[in-house]
This record gives sequence, C-alpha cells and structure tokens, in this order.
Amino acid sequence: MKTTKFISLLLLTTIFTPLFTSCDSNNNVENPEIGTGVYVLNEGKYLANNASLTYYDFATGFASADLFLDKNNRGLGDTGQDMIKYGSKIYIAVYKSSIIEVIDAKTGISTKSIAMKNDAGASISPRSLTATNGKVYIVLYDGHVTQMDTTNFTLGQKIAVGANPDASVIANNKLYVANTGGMAAVMDSTISVINLTTFTQEKKITVNLNPGTIKADSYGDVYVVSNGNYGSIPGKFQRIEAGTDKVTDINVKVKNFDIVGDNAYIYNFEYDANWQAANKTIAIYDVKNEKLVNANIVTSEIIKTPYCIDVDPVSKDIYLGVTDYKNNGKMYCFTQSGTLKFNFTTGLNPSKVVFIIK
Amino acid sequence: MSKNLLFTTVLFLFATITAFSEVPGGDSLRTRNLKGVTVNGQAIKAARAAQPVQVYSEKEIGTLNALNITDVAKYFSGVTIKDYGGIGGMKTVSFRGMGTQYTGVSYDGIMMSDIQSGQIDLGRFSLDNISEISLTNGQPNDIFQSARMFSSGGVLCLKTKLLDYDKNKSFEGKISLKTGSFGFLNPSFFLAKNFGKKWAFNLSTDAQMANGKYTFLQYYGSSTRNISEVLTRKNGDVKSLRSEINGLYRINRNESVSMKANYYGSERGLPGSITFYNNDDSHQRLKDQTFFSQIHYKNRVSERFRHQYSAKINISDNHYTDVDPKYSTTSGILRDNYLQKEYYLSSTFQYKLLDPLLISASTDWWYNDLNINSNINFKNFQYPTRHTGLANVATKYFSERLTVGANLLYTLTREKVRIGVPAPNRDKLSPTINISYKLIEDTELRIRAFYKNIYRLPTFNDLYYQDMGNNNLRPEDANQYNIGFTYLDTGIPFLSEFAITVDGYYNRVKDKIIAIPRDMFHWSMINKDQVDVKGLDVSVKTSIKVGKSDLVKLKSNYSLQSAKDATVGSDNYGEQIPYTPVHSGSGSISYQHGKWEAGYNMVFSGVRWIGQMTDPRNKMNGYAIHSIFVSTTYKQWNVNAEVIDIFNTQYEVVKFYPMPRRNFRITLAMNLGK
Repeated sequence: MKTTKFISLLLLTTIFTPLFTSCDSNNNVENPEIGTGVYVLNEGKYLANNASLTYYDFATGFASADLFLDKNNRGLGDTGQDMIKYGSKIYIAVYKSSIIEVIDAKTGISTKSIAMKNDAGASISPRSLTATNGKVYIVLYDGHVTQMDTTNFTLGQKIAVGANPDASVIANNKLYVANTGGMAAVMDSTISVINLTTFTQEKKITVNLNPGTIKADSYGDVYVVSNGNYGSIPGKFQRIEAGTDKVTDINVKVKNFDIVGDNAYIYNFEYDANWQAANKTIAIYDVKNEKLVNANIVTSEIIKTPYCIDVDPVSKDIYLGVTDYKNNGKMYCFTQSGTLKFNFTTGLNPSKVVFIIK
Repeated sequence: MSKNLLFTTVLFLFATITAFSEVPGGDSLRTRNLKGVTVNGQAIKAARAAQPVQVYSEKEIGTLNALNITDVAKYFSGVTIKDYGGIGGMKTVSFRGMGTQYTGVSYDGIMMSDIQSGQIDLGRFSLDNISEISLTNGQPNDIFQSARMFSSGGVLCLKTKLLDYDKNKSFEGKISLKTGSFGFLNPSFFLAKNFGKKWAFNLSTDAQMANGKYTFLQYYGSSTRNISEVLTRKNGDVKSLRSEINGLYRINRNESVSMKANYYGSERGLPGSITFYNNDDSHQRLKDQTFFSQIHYKNRVSERFRHQYSAKINISDNHYTDVDPKYSTTSGILRDNYLQKEYYLSSTFQYKLLDPLLISASTDWWYNDLNINSNINFKNFQYPTRHTGLANVATKYFSERLTVGANLLYTLTREKVRIGVPAPNRDKLSPTINISYKLIEDTELRIRAFYKNIYRLPTFNDLYYQDMGNNNLRPEDANQYNIGFTYLDTGIPFLSEFAITVDGYYNRVKDKIIAIPRDMFHWSMINKDQVDVKGLDVSVKTSIKVGKSDLVKLKSNYSLQSAKDATVGSDNYGEQIPYTPVHSGSGSISYQHGKWEAGYNMVFSGVRWIGQMTDPRNKMNGYAIHSIFVSTTYKQWNVNAEVIDIFNTQYEVVKFYPMPRRNFRITLAMNLGK
C-alpha cells in the first residue's frame, strides 16, 4: 500500500512538471509616437529573421526595441541590409527576405513591400539603396542595379554591373557601385560607374580587392574602403578623384566611415589574439584639403566592436553603433569634440542610422 | 499548447489511477501467481549499472511511434534532440548540456565517426534492422570494449539483429512496406539465414522516399500575436537507399568472426531555415554516399582470459549544390564536395584476476583524412590528416552488492596538413571511476555514482574550415559527476515489473570551442566558453498485468537541466545555454491484448532560448507532442497504424525549422520463416 502511494506520487510528479513550465509571460509592446529622433536599422543575425528597427526619440530619450514590429505586427525579416530616407518615406533593403520595405517616416507603418525577383522568378537579394530625382536605385547581389519610381513604387529597367555588388553612392549624377565578388571564386576589385541620365554602365574603375563602403564628398570625390582578402591582401582606404577617376591610396586605417560637410568620420580598430576589438578610434579626415585632422577624438570607453558610423547632417553629432554579433547592440552619440552625449540600446548588429529632423 | 498538456496530465492521471486502484484489493491467490514473473535481463542490467544506462529493445521501439533513431532517443532522459524537420532533415543527439560531439555512436560495437563536424547524422540509420538502442552516460558498463568506447561523454549504442543458432530454424525474414503523409514510402526487407552451426548471414535493405511537402504555420515575429501564414515546406524531398550485409562465422564454441558491410546513399533537398516573406528561397541539394565495412574477431580462450580485434574502413562522400542568382560568376551554381575516410584498428584483452575482479587493456589506432573541393570556396584548403591513438586500462570488481570500476584512457593525436601549419600534437590522460552499491539485502535498491573526465578533440571544421578554422584550438575539457539510485521491484502485486532510476549530475565543460565573429560573415574558432550543468534525470517504468494475459506498460521520464553559461565576463553569464530546455520528458502507455496492441506516446519540452534571455525573440516556446498507434498480427502478417502529433501542434525543435504537424503512417509487414 505504502509502496503504491509512493509510486503514484513519483509518476505524478514526473508528469505534472511540464504544467509549471509552459506559462508564457507577456511583454509590453512599446508603441511610441514618432517626433524628432533617429531610426536605427539593426541587421539582425543571418538566418535568424530578426532584423529590426530601433527608434530613439530626442525629446523623451527613449529607444523602442523594435518599432517596425510594434507598428506593423510583423518583423522586418532576414537581414536588414541598408536603409535610406527619401522624401517622406524610409526605404529598407532586406537581404535574404529579398524585399524592399517602404515605410512612412512619420508613423513607421509599412506602405509597401516589394519582392525582388530576377527574370526567371528566383529571389534576388538587395544590398544597398540610394535615391535621387524621384528614383530609388537598388543594388542587387546577383550583379544588377535596378530603379524604383518613388511615386508608384514600380520597378524600372535593370542593368548589369560586376559580381556581387554591395555598397553604392551617387556623385556627379553618377551611381558608383562597389563590386565585391563575394560569392565568386575570385573576388572583384572594381567600381561600376553608372550614368543616371542614360542608366547605362559607363565604365569600371579598378580599386583594391573587395571594395566595401563607398561614400562621396560635395566636390565629387568618391572614397572607398576595401577589405582585401582578410588574409595576405590587406584592406585600403582610397580616393577616386572627381573628373579624372584617378585612384589614390590614403594612408589612414579605416574600417568604416561617413562623410558630412568637409569631414570624413572614420572608425577603426584592431583585433587582439582572442578576436576582441582593441584600439578603437574615431578619426576625422578633411576631404577638402585631403589631410587627417584628428587621429582619435574619443576618450571614453567604447564597449564591443564598432559596426556602423553615421553623422547627423545638421548637428554633426557622430553616431557609432557597436555589436558583439550575438546580443543587442548599442548606439553611442558623440559630439564633434568626442564628448559622449548619450547612448542607447539597439537591436542586434546596428548597421545604419537615419535622422528624422524637422 | 496548455490544453494539450492538460490532456496529457489527465490521461496519465487516469491511467495511473486505474492501474493502481486495483492493487490494494488484489486477492492473494492472483498475487502469488504473478510473483514468479521473469523480469527481462535488460531491466536488471539497467538497475545494476554504475554508469546510468537506458535501453529500448526492438519490441519496445515498436510501440514508440518512432520512424528513426532520434525518435527513440527522445524517450531517453537527459537527452536533447536536434531535428531539422522532415524525413531528410539532419538529426543529432546530445545529452546533459554537453555538445553533440560528446555523444559517441556505436554501431554493433564499433564507433561511428565524422572527422569533419564530429556529429553523426542519425537520420541515416533505419530502425528496420535494429534490435536494441541504448544510451550510457560516460561509457558502457562492460569493460571488454575498445578504447574508443571509453572516449566519449556518453555512448549511444545501436545493435542490429543477427540470427542466433537454432537447430529448428535456419531461416527468418521480414518484408514490410511503410507509407504515410507527405508522399512517404518506405519498403524494406530483412533476411537471415544460417548454414549449419558455423555460418550465419543476414541482408537488410530499405529505401525511403518522400516529397516532404508539409504545411506549417509561420508567425512573422516572436509571438503568436504577430501576423501569421500557413505555408508549405519546399525543397524537402528525399530519396535514400540503405543496404547492409552481415556474416558470422563460428570457428568453435569460443571463437567467432563477424563481418559487416553497410551502404547508404541519398539525394535530397535541404529546405533550410524559413526566411520571412521568401518561402522559395532554398535550392540547396545534398547527395551523399557512405560506405563502411567492419570485421570483428573474438576469442574466449578460457574462463579467465578473452581477447578481441576489430578493423573498419569508412568512406563518406558528400556533394552539396546550391542554386542561387548570387553565384553570378559560376552560372548561378555553387558546388562543394567533401570526401572523408577513416581506417580503424582495435584490440582488447580481458583477464579475470580473482573471481570477481576483471582487468582489461585495449588499444585503438585510426587514421582520418578530409578532402574538400569547390567551384567557389575552399581555395586554400589544407588537406588535413590525423592519426589518433588510444590506450585504455580498466578494472571492475563486482559482487552481488558492490560494483566498483575504474579506467584510465590515454589519447594521442598526430596531425599533418599539405599546406600551412597543422594543429599541435595532443597527449591526454582521462580517468573514470564508478561505483554501485546495493543498500539492503534482498531489495534491489542501489546507490550509484561516477566521475568521468573527458575532452573533445577539435574537429577538422574547427581547425581548418576556410577563414574561420583555428589550428591552435585546444581540446574541450569536460568533467562529469553523477550520483543516483536505482530501484527495481518484481514483487509488487499486479505489477510484473517496477523500476525507477533517479540521477543527479553536475557537468562542467571548460575551454569550450565556439565561433566568434570578426564580422557578419567571417567567424573564428576559439576556446573560450565555460558551461556548468546541474541536472536531474528520472525514469519510471512499470508493467501491469490486467486480467489473464493482458499487459499495460507505462514508461515515463523527466529531465531537469540547468545548463548555464559560466564564461566569466560574458554578457550571457548565468543564462541557460541555447537549445537546452530546463524541463523536458516523455511518457508512454501501451496496452496489449492478445494479438492487439495500442499505445499512446507523449514527448514534451519546456521553453528553450536561442540567445540572450532579455530578448523575447530568442525564446522558443515549449511543446508537447502526442501520438498514438494500434497494431495487430494475423498469421504472419502485422499491421501498425499511427497518428503522429494528434493535436496538430505546430512546433520547432530548431528555430525556423518548422516540424510537420499531424501526420499518419501505416506499416504492413510479413514475417517469413515462422
């Protein structure tokens, strides 16, 4: 009798336990009003469908974790590749989901999702976005650039560029596209130059192997950071001169940068033996006089690994996003002199900042 | 979800109460009749094991709604399954918060291997020719084993059928056809034949095909409040063929040689993880072929002395292709080919020193190589080769009440590469001790404990994978501590058997090999993390006699795993490690009435996390999956009908790999030679 009770009790304990484990706690849904502030695109992790949009409000100092999810009741997808603001809309390129998400900058609500397909109907991934004269130019990883009308969101003509093009920038009424060859047996090292009037590829400019970030100054010079082959061929910072297309090496170490006014804001770091980022710096380089103004403006500690840099075109505040590729990231805001103004938590892998300024 | 759990509980409660309510009133006559019921050797083996062992026999496997090895492993306590879904999806087993590489897989006494990833895809074995599946924590309790059997954190042992000599029967066979949802078709046959007293052969072959098109419910977010859509899984079709031949030659009463040759080939789509808003994303295919052959000689020279030798060759050839417009320079296609080989030799000697004291010594040597070529990747592949040597000495003292065992394992590796720098040579000693003691005379209640130190060598992927490999990786180091008790009772009225095991454990894994990112697409392997696992495994098993010959079998297990990231300075310090539920378990009931048998099986997993626990997107909800079957025999025919996931629960074992929901299977089998 005693044994029986004991046995029953044991069996029951074993079986009942799951009941205590299946409770689901509700998380508060943040749903802020959009005023003045910044949108941060968080790439998320590849194959994890966790790209997100952080909105940081200047007035309240509050950062909402995933504004896109809150406003649209669905996630951005996999992975947030690039984001631009043009007119009243924000355009987001989502890489593996192969869509361009168009959202209203004032509300965060999606106006349209446009699927990217090739002529055979296969999904193709958008890599970067630029816009001018009522058109958004979409760089596609299968080696093409297409254009989208910003009034009716229809896709226009598509032209071929190099292998696995990535970053792009508009200068001199031309689109400069960095061809990486990231999915090719041999990496690429060219910049495709597209005439935006005729929408044809004018030429290819050879730079260092595996060009990544590409930005332009107001004088028509285009600056390129190339990554090399992550081994024997190191990365480089180079300038393509306006008019002549002459490529010059700049002796400044650059992981990533942004240009506002006459300054390029550059971050760099090195890896230590355990692949932890060390010697993290933000340098200022004068793009008018082509010289380094300040090798490092930052004096406070920066955690994790720098991942993106964007500068507020009005206040010239410097936004530096950091990541550990695993958990939520952080966005630092520094003044021109390197003083930390504020910081806030972002999603995973913060990769682009867009400014919502009245 | 909670409705299903409630249902489970009610059902179990009902079954338990029904089963036990009769017991107090049972009259002494019937009680006496049942006292002499013989308990199978398996239960005794499990109860006396100093290293916890869980066993399922062929007969029991038949009542588990199981299609493959991992379906069975779900019913072991302490085990975590990774199942990428569908018939063709990869399936691996890990236990007690340690990585998959700590689970050794032995196939008829010889360890399987995968030098590239260290993970054995259990999806490629069939249950058709399996006679027993067991999982031992640490190592098997028998010390007459190859050194390699002592070199894992635990061993999943698969035993195949071989016809024993029976002078009244020289032939046995089975032909079966299994069919089910998602275009699943699985014909198989098994034939075993004896030629006199000396020779025995068997041949087993099975083919599987499925279109893998199942519907699933996808939420576009982390919560069931988000927008969702019902989609169909694509690119999940599979075709496979497995064939095995075994031969046994009995030289004399004490000496025998057995041989085996096994081939597996498949061609399948890899549906990949779900990408939001892009469900026709995956065009990856895998064509793989594995061939292995092993030979084993054993000789029981005397009561005191025995020795055995094994040899094995294994060749595994994988062809992976991916079609995607991004491969624009190679006509939209990526081709990666992987070829790995292993040659293996082993010898074991066992000597009985005093009557209850055994000593054994074994030495193993094997050689691995890996060759990768690709039309795009692996331009700087290093072509590594590794020699591994193991030497093990073990001892075991056993009496009716006390078992004490210990062993010391020595490992060496010698590695070479064609290009670049190879990993340094490794030499390591790792000890194990175990004890089991019967607390009270005449009562099968035992207390047991073991300690085992083991390490896992870096795989070729860890060391040499393009861009991310790190040839300076040290082996991971793991210490396992276990204390528990086992109780077996065959004298309880109405129960033909009642067994319970409870084990508490503590595992600490140091120098864990992890990938850390340099940027989004470039990772490096380093030794960094530490994991502390505290847990509890409970299993209860009983059989109840009902009426004259009916039998109700109940089996339940529960696992508690508190597996914490213990890496100092980590953002994830103190958090549960990914994919490891704190609570998990299973329960089974089957009822046998004459030629009919019906049963119910349930597997549950609590909440799991796939990353930092402050982010709700990293949370994976718990689930309970309920399945039922009914089977009957008529002459030489056997029919089994199954409903898997009867409540149509949508769940994921691996994030964004949705599992099929409710599905059906029917098996028709004909026994030959009976």
